[in-house]
Amino acid sequence: MRKVESFKVATYPAVIIVFLLFAGMLFVYFTNALPALHRYGLDLYLENVWRAAEEPSEEVYGIAAAIWGSIYTSIIAILIALPLSVAYSVFVVDYAPKRLKNAFIILSDIMAGLPTIIYGIWGAFFLVPFLRDWIMKPLYDHLSFIPLFSYPPVGGYSYLSAGVLLAIMVTPFASAIIREAYNMVPFTYKEAIYSLGATRYEATKVLLGYIKPAIVSGTILAFGRAVGETVAVSLVIGNTFNLTTALFAPGYTVSSLIANQFGNAFIYEYMTSTLFAAGLILFVIGLAVNVVGLKMLKRWERDVNI
Amino acid sequence: MLTSNRKTKEKVFFIGIGALTILIFIPLFHIIATVLIKGFPVIAERGTKFLTGTLSEGGIGPAIAGTFILTFLSALLGLPVAFLVGVYAYEYPKSTLGQWTKTLLQIMIEFPTILVGVFVMQVVAVPMGTYSALAGALALAIILTPYVAVYTHEALREIPSTYREAGFSLGLTRAKVVFRILAPMAKRGILTGVLIGMAKVAGETAPLLFTAGGLYESYPSSITKPVGAVPLLIYQLVQSPNPVDHATAWGASLVLLAIFLGIFIPIRLSLKEVRL
Repeated sequence: MRKVESFKVATYPAVIIVFLLFAGMLFVYFTNALPALHRYGLDLYLENVWRAAEEPSEEVYGIAAAIWGSIYTSIIAILIALPLSVAYSVFVVDYAPKRLKNAFIILSDIMAGLPTIIYGIWGAFFLVPFLRDWIMKPLYDHLSFIPLFSYPPVGGYSYLSAGVLLAIMVTPFASAIIREAYNMVPFTYKEAIYSLGATRYEATKVLLGYIKPAIVSGTILAFGRAVGETVAVSLVIGNTFNLTTALFAPGYTVSSLIANQFGNAFIYEYMTSTLFAAGLILFVIGLAVNVVGLKMLKRWERDVNI
Repeated sequence: MLTSNRKTKEKVFFIGIGALTILIFIPLFHIIATVLIKGFPVIAERGTKFLTGTLSEGGIGPAIAGTFILTFLSALLGLPVAFLVGVYAYEYPKSTLGQWTKTLLQIMIEFPTILVGVFVMQVVAVPMGTYSALAGALALAIILTPYVAVYTHEALREIPSTYREAGFSLGLTRAKVVFRILAPMAKRGILTGVLIGMAKVAGETAPLLFTAGGLYESYPSSITKPVGAVPLLIYQLVQSPNPVDHATAWGASLVLLAIFLGIFIPIRLSLKEVRL
């Protein structure tokens, strides 16, 4: 009989715990979502209704607006974050003097780690009124015939506010991935480009093409972060069931829906289950986005290292 | 003509990306300045009462105590598991389970934290019939584990493989090589991961919403009873219509910012690169 290695005896249980936790989460979300899925079917994800009633037969839920809100705000966020992170990466790696470079990297790490509730309180008390008075009102006054700007910005709590706040929160995160990739470009490539007489701007254009896969995966991972963010978003989005592309309309996201409604959901027969179903879809979106993003990043890193 | 055109483009490009880079950090400076300007007068006016008193006395003492209890408890629950998992992923980078473990850890780092909170609520808080410090700490431990595991893994990987080989050539077992030789050598990197993980969970809000419950009128007495936390308190106070609550929230934000920067900056300065 072979002797069991003591290393495995020590580490296996821990590894098993982590796997069980993950499988357990998926199981808990799925089983708890079943009653609502049974009752409402796919309409739960495709309809936009939220009718809570003491009488179970009158309860109707459909969380399409929240799913839309999660995706819409995250898209706004990465549209803003992407150009900023690419510019930052190029500047820090190619141009900034060494001392400034370190300062920028440290600042970016601080931003990435800052407690999200601090972004939330700043968002609610500064960013929302600021965007309302300086961005939304002028746009609404002059350009409200464009559907995007057609919603009157009364409170300022809106998809736009949530998108901008999320952009601020995920930019350092996307930056870290893109910067690292840009840093990893083999030196011989740079030498080759400069030896052809290219300016730094022209060289950058070529190099950015080279790290495109890393930029894409950085964007996907940033999107994944934005989709899952909860407290900061729920403080600025307005928490209203709106299914619209109008930027200034208040909305909902899946995570803010859960944060807001779970507290008293147990009063209603089907609300808890509906919220678990909402969690399940967030689970699936988060998992899919992160798996794709991480896979792409890993493949790219492997290709570069050869 | 052509050359000068190219030179101009280069200049415009340089100014453009420089400006965008600075633009990224304007919100950070504005946030820190706002928290200082709005939080400092509140703390100055209420004095030590702010740090030790209960909410009705105008203080956040129980929340601060709660944050320390939750952070400490979650470290107690999460660190041993995290360390062992990190070691496992390091030792078996090529095996199927080893690769799966690494992927799972990375996925868990990116995972929406509110989902962890709701999960722990369902499996701990609901059966127990009450919110509790234990449930809150468990949720935080699940969030802490992948961070620390990934840092442990990275720290071990930085040790030159000659030390490994030397250990094995002396006839030591795998466990002895890893735990007696490599882990002590990677101590600094692992400790950094531990502190960063703790800084991270100390600032978490979403996983505590339905697990910790909140306790602001008295100090926590038992880990099976509800407990407060600074981020959770801020979240609840921001939603209140009362301006006095908003003032308390700003003061609490300054305390949280101080805790975060107090842990984060020293580690960050003593280290080359952090990947959050």
